[in-house]
Amino acid sequence: MYDIKPLEAEWRAYQKKKKKPYYLLILAIVLLTLFVVLLYKKNIIFDAYLNQLNKDSAILSSKKNISSQSNVLLNEGLVRLETLNSPDKEAIKDVAKKNEILVNIPILDINEKSDVVDDNRKKVHLNIIETSSVSAYEDVEKRFHQSHDIDDALFLSRSYYKKGNYDKAETWAYEVNKIDSNLEEGLLLFIKSKYKLGRKNDALSILKNYLKKSNSEEAKNLLSKIENNKL
Amino acid sequence: MKSRYKAAKNVFVDSIDIDDYIELNSSVTAYQQLQHSMEKPLKMILLFGRPGTGKSILLNRIQEKLKHQKEIYYFDTPAPTEKEFFQKLFKVLTQKELPKNTEVNFSSLIDFCKSLRNKREIIILLDEAQMYDSEIMEKIRLLSDTRAVKFVVSLHKTEDEDLIAKEHFQSRIWEVIELKNATKEDQTAYVHKKLLKKNLFEIANSIKPNDMKLIHKFTKGNYRECNKLMFTIFEICEYYDTHEPSNINYSHIPRKIIEMSALKLGYIHV
Repeated sequence: MYDIKPLEAEWRAYQKKKKKPYYLLILAIVLLTLFVVLLYKKNIIFDAYLNQLNKDSAILSSKKNISSQSNVLLNEGLVRLETLNSPDKEAIKDVAKKNEILVNIPILDINEKSDVVDDNRKKVHLNIIETSSVSAYEDVEKRFHQSHDIDDALFLSRSYYKKGNYDKAETWAYEVNKIDSNLEEGLLLFIKSKYKLGRKNDALSILKNYLKKSNSEEAKNLLSKIENNKL
Repeated sequence: MKSRYKAAKNVFVDSIDIDDYIELNSSVTAYQQLQHSMEKPLKMILLFGRPGTGKSILLNRIQEKLKHQKEIYYFDTPAPTEKEFFQKLFKVLTQKELPKNTEVNFSSLIDFCKSLRNKREIIILLDEAQMYDSEIMEKIRLLSDTRAVKFVVSLHKTEDEDLIAKEHFQSRIWEVIELKNATKEDQTAYVHKKLLKKNLFEIANSIKPNDMKLIHKFTKGNYRECNKLMFTIFEICEYYDTHEPSNINYSHIPRKIIEMSALKLGYIHV
């Protein structure tokens, strides 16, 4: 027996070959276990992330709802108000003067319009006039008395203030404040209206009281304006 | 220093020496079956099995056992030519040497055999019969037809086995005895008995059932392969015993050595 050393080497190689499937199996099990553990951990993290995301989106959506709600309300108002500023305003006014047809459309009704067109068989100019008419605001006021929607009240206060009807602006700002005393815009509208109505001291007193518990820049600006009579 | 494994190694030198014959359950059965068949009025008996299943040693054994009772002859390797085969046969049948420069006339031989009917009962054991060509086999068949000579034909179980059987023996009255590879138990008994026969008790005891399981797996129960493997195992053991005694454990044969032997003999590969 002279070839014992090569035979030993061959046997070692054989052992390696024989054990290879077992090593591979162990490796596969280890990798699989790692994979499962990682997947499990990732799921936990992912779940936490999803939960957080859900919470965030819930918060976001609630905020959006609030803002979109107000937008809707504002937009509804603006549809009427913005017709005043539409580029065709002058043309509409001209047509209105010529035809003497005044159509008050608080809410546009397309069917009615098309009927008019069909019946007359001639070109009809729709006169969308400024809905600052009393009836348009009355509609919103009616709606507010039914729904007590703060956005309606805020819209009315804002609109009246803009129009210079400070008495009504104050009344609607008061309504806003009744519904939500923490809504700054309502409070500031109330103060501004008071000031405009000549009750500067009242306005200052309310504003100073408010600034005691709030750090609002807008409120501070307003205070400065009122004190300097620059509003 | 002489290693204890040297004697063990030599036990497994492959031979058909009758002294090496090991009686196993399977070999006893085959022996009895062959003996029983030889007593029947059969003209030809076919003994077949894969190489290394013990056909030759069985023929030797039966010849050795029955030689004093019957006229039995063992033809170990086939004669290279037909002429030499019939010279050999002539000597067996006539008990005389064929004169020089003469040839056996087959027709005369047939006639001679016919004349022997009911006078002598001659049994010829033909080992490695797959090496005879078809012409000789046909003549053997004709000789067996005389009923004076009975042939036990030993064949390797090969793909041609059926062909030979069909061509030469199908129309004859013959019996088939098949030798198979050993079971694990038979092989274990074979290895142990072989070692114990040479008083190598400690070494026989060092071969554990698990070792035999592995040996049987490698050799598939073939006796010749088993002899080869055992020889190589003890050869490696002998090397370690002589050169690196720390690598050898006398209480059992290390699996490493069995696998190294299997690698050396090509039963397994890297």
